[in-house]
This record gives sequence, C-alpha cells and structure tokens, in this order.
Amino acid sequence: MAYFVAFAEHRDLATIRARSPETWRRVRRYNLPVQLALAAAQDVMTASTDPKSVVVISLAPCQPGSAELYRWGDVVTSRMLNGTLGDLRMNPTQTLHAVDNLAMSAFAITFGNHADCLGLGGAAGQAWSGLEAVIERIEDGAEEVLLMAGDQDQASEVAEGVGIALLFSKRARPFAPCERPVRLVRIERHPMDRSSGVIPHAANGLSDLVSAVASHQSSSIAHEVPPQHTDGHSSVTVVLETCS
Amino acid sequence: MTNHRNFASQVHEADRRRVVITGMGSLSALGATTRELWDGLLANRAGIRTVSRLVASGIVVTTGGEVEAVPHNQIDRDFEIADRAIRHALRESDRNPAECGFIWSTGLDTFQAGLDDPAAFVHRSAGQCFSALASRFVEPQRMIAAACASGTQAVGEAFRLIRKGRIEACVAGGSSVMLTPFYLIGFAGLQAVAPDNGGPPSAACAPFDRRRKGFALADGAGALVLESLASARDRGANIFAEVLGFGMSQDAFDLNRPCEDGAGAELCMRRALKDAELDATDIDAVNAHATATYLGDLAEATALRRLLGSNWQRVHVSGVKGAIGHAMAAAGAIEAIVSARTVQTGIVPPTVNLIDPDEGCELNHVMGDARDVNARTVLSVSFGMGGQNAALLLRRFSS
Repeated sequence: MAYFVAFAEHRDLATIRARSPETWRRVRRYNLPVQLALAAAQDVMTASTDPKSVVVISLAPCQPGSAELYRWGDVVTSRMLNGTLGDLRMNPTQTLHAVDNLAMSAFAITFGNHADCLGLGGAAGQAWSGLEAVIERIEDGAEEVLLMAGDQDQASEVAEGVGIALLFSKRARPFAPCERPVRLVRIERHPMDRSSGVIPHAANGLSDLVSAVASHQSSSIAHEVPPQHTDGHSSVTVVLETCS
Repeated sequence: MTNHRNFASQVHEADRRRVVITGMGSLSALGATTRELWDGLLANRAGIRTVSRLVASGIVVTTGGEVEAVPHNQIDRDFEIADRAIRHALRESDRNPAECGFIWSTGLDTFQAGLDDPAAFVHRSAGQCFSALASRFVEPQRMIAAACASGTQAVGEAFRLIRKGRIEACVAGGSSVMLTPFYLIGFAGLQAVAPDNGGPPSAACAPFDRRRKGFALADGAGALVLESLASARDRGANIFAEVLGFGMSQDAFDLNRPCEDGAGAELCMRRALKDAELDATDIDAVNAHATATYLGDLAEATALRRLLGSNWQRVHVSGVKGAIGHAMAAAGAIEAIVSARTVQTGIVPPTVNLIDPDEGCELNHVMGDARDVNARTVLSVSFGMGGQNAALLLRRFSS
C-alpha cells in the first residue's frame, strides 16, 4: 500500500533564494524546471526516514530547454551556415540539460542516494505512469518512494515554471494537506477519443491532484484527470482513499 | 485489447514469471537490420565514418555512426529510425502492437538546422516522438529518460512488469538521433567524443585501448519484444533469450564523470545478480558499456574486476561502441540485442578497435576475432552521464 507522506511545490525562484540560501546554492546552476523540482524534493526529504535509500522516480520536463540553450541553438545554426563551427565552445551544463534526467542525478548527489531509480521522459501523461510506478515499487518492497517533477510553459524564453515533489511510504502517516493518511489505490485508464487539447507538462497534473485531495472530504476519492493533463489516448482516474 | 494477464489461466505460475525475448529489431551504423549488425560485429568491422555534411561546417568532430538507411534530411528522422526497428521486432515476434505495452526512450530532443530554411533552428521534441510511437500500443506506455542508461532501463522496466505478472508482453528499447552539430559541439565540450586526429575515421572509437580519446556519436535504434514464457509458448514463438535479472543504481558522485572506483557501476551489477538469484561465477561474458572515455573505461574495468573477483580472467568482455558509436538512448537496447545473439549462438563478438588494452583496463578482452566459447549467460551494462547505472542479465533459453 502506497501512502502519501509529504508534498512540496515551488513556482518562484526568488522565494527559494530568499528563504533557503543553501538550497539556492545547490540548484542555481540548473535551468528552471530542474531548479524547481530539486527545491521541492529538498523540502519533502525532511519527512523521509532515510533519504539515502528512498527510491527515486523523476519526471523529466516536457519543455527541457532554456532560453540560453535556444540561444546556443541559434548560434550553432548560424555558424554552421558560414562554416565557422570549429572554435565554438558550448557551456557543458547546457549539454547536460539536454542529455540527462538532471534532477534525478542532482538529487542523488545531494543526498548520497544510491537506491533504485526510474527516470521517466518528457512526454504527455507520464506523471500517471510515475504514480503507477510508485505503487509498483511499494508493492515490491520499497519503504519510501519519491516522485519529483519540474516543468515550464515554454523553453525558448523566460517562462513560468512549477516544481513538485511527492513522498510516499508503505506505512500510513498523516498527509499534511488533509491531515489524514491518504492511500494511493490505483490508476484507472480507459481509451478515449484522441484529444487535441493535451498540454504536455510534467508537474501541473500532479499539482492539481494534490489540490483535489486536500479539498476532498469523503473517504474515497476518484480524481478524474483533466484531458489536457493526459497522454491524449486514454482518460485517467486516480483512485485514492483517506483513512481516519 | 488488454495487456493485463488473465490470472484464471491454467498456465503454470512458474512459467508466468519467466521472461523471454521473442523479437528484435535494430538500426545502426552497421546496417538497417540485426543481421547486418551481428555480422559486422563478428567481422570486427566499424561502421563509423566521416560524415560529409559535417566537414563543410568547420566543426572539430566529423566522424560518427550514421544510420544510412534513413536520409539525414528527413524531418521526422527521429520517428522513422525508431519505427523501423520496432516494426522489425514486432514482425520477428509475430506480435500485434495492440496487445503489447511500450517502454521506450526517444532520448534527446533533436536540435538541427531547418531543411526549408537552413538558417532556422529546428527543435524536435523527444516527448512528442514518443507519443507518436506509443499511440499504436496499449498500456503501460512509459518513456524512459536515464541518459546513456535509458535503453537498458527500458528493457529492465519491461522485464520487471512482465515477471511480476503485471503485463503479458511489451516492446522495449530506445532510439536516438545524435549526429547534429549541436550535440557534437556539446559532447566535445564535455571532452567525451573523440576529436578528428587525421587517422582513419573507422578507428575513432577505441574502447579500453591505450589510444582511446572518447566515443563517436551515433544515431540508432534497438527494439525488443519481451513476453512471458507462457505467452511465448502459447503462441509457439521463437525464443532468442531469457531475461533473468535487472539492477539500477545511482553514482551520487558527479554530473560529468564516473565514480573512479566504479562503486555505482558495481552496485547495479550486483543488484542484477541478486535479482536473478545468480552469482558472479555464473557470468560467461560481459557486454560492456565501453565508451572509450578515459575515466569511464577505467571505472568500468575496475568495477568488473571487483564484481568478477578471481574469476575475472575467465569472463569474456566486449563492447560494441567501437563498431557503431554511442547511440545514447538506443545504446543499451542495441547492446541487449547483441547480448541476446551472444547467448543464442554462444559467440562473443570482438571489441572493434581494441588492440592495446590500457593499464587499469585489464580484463579478458575479446580482440580481433570473435570467440566461439559457448557463452550462455551475459551481463549487459550501461552507465549514464549523471551517474545512472543499469545492468541486465540474459541467459540462453532452456525449457
């Protein structure tokens, strides 16, 4: 049984910088989605019994770039056209952002975490695959699982971003947003007519889910994921139970 | 159609928990089929060559492992390369995608010059490519993103889901389009790719060798159909190999370089062995990550010697990147295919371009000629930039 333990969300770098200089020092070199996801993960780890052994599931952003990376792209393209790529040197951090599930690696380094991990990519609807993987890892014996995600509205210019982190445990503990234990029961999917309104985003759907859980009063919750947060092929319902 | 198992079935539970490979498809610098890949490896041939369109750009690295079967200026090249490998695998397995899950890494977003307007910078999203590929499959549909370990993690994740009885069949693997100036410059900045040195381009990538300077970037795709043994038997499917175990770990060390003592790499290998309920003495051969980076090869060799213990001089070690380059998200999947061929045939292909193993890289390297050694159990490993490590154990199928 997978129980929600802790949740954190960040949308504002200025707040992170002001409230937690240590966190800011750790995350400032990254792009916006990674900064926000890492800051959120840092927050929820205070509720973990052993951050070194938490199983990590990290959702890569659907908009993985940054304004700086796009500027590099323009530079590469223009210099390729006039045959002057030879002496161009790119900031290695930009390459790492393009290559790696960077929040997962940076989290592991921060917490000395060598545990099992799963990196999910930046495709629409992967957040729900992440929740399914949480249930599977707990069923298979993990004590705690971290699900983290950061994303932004656009990658090519200064954008709004969201970073979230959810900590799950096999043991029931009160989940702060509703002050009761909340159990993640299952994810239900059903084929739907292909939706054209999908807005790929790693974190927004999970943020909405937690808001729905916090405002719900009944013991059984069936959260129907809005079509824009799905993969466009299947409807998704997240089934949860609150315990007294 | 559903991919979830019917638990009322009369098939023995022991069979349900065994996972086998029944289809494989690959595109690489050695060709557009798995046969061409395998034959090229056995012949100790490298598919890495000078990429003419890069020469004109003035870039410092002009060699790579290009998939020539799909034109470089095809705008949906990322989709096409993946789709061809997937179709090959499904055809070989005689499987319908509507009865399979899909766990795949489309790797990295593609950044390239526009075709109609070369001055335009074109960004193709790896996520959108995944969604387009996934639309033919049933759940689960998971896009894996674990850097160079992605392909191996995709196969391992599919293996776990089938072994635990959560699904019946799955297409797993990965694909990458890397041979663009954007990535060549980026990886050159990380000192990970071998620079042009005036030598033959086919010798650019020399894993574990004293002369190694890094890898050659490559395009490619590798697709595997995994299913339960019960399902394969019910269908009368041809079985290439059995997957026995999988392990993941994180270095938690550095974003750019591996832990020099190979501790993170060793940990994922030990987890795979534990998962398979095997001992290191059961391993006949290793399909190494073997990127030809100075520190990466040293760390890997150190980790393997420690894992294999006093047995390390008996276990045959080879890697494919000297022949086809480093296809990032596809690499682990292609290497799982090569490992499956190895256990099927018993033959370990050579590490192309390995002539003079470096100090610290001592292993029982397969050099020059393939070895027909009746290899039955192979460990296939991938170590991602950022420190994500993955290991798979494959064994010759025996009923």
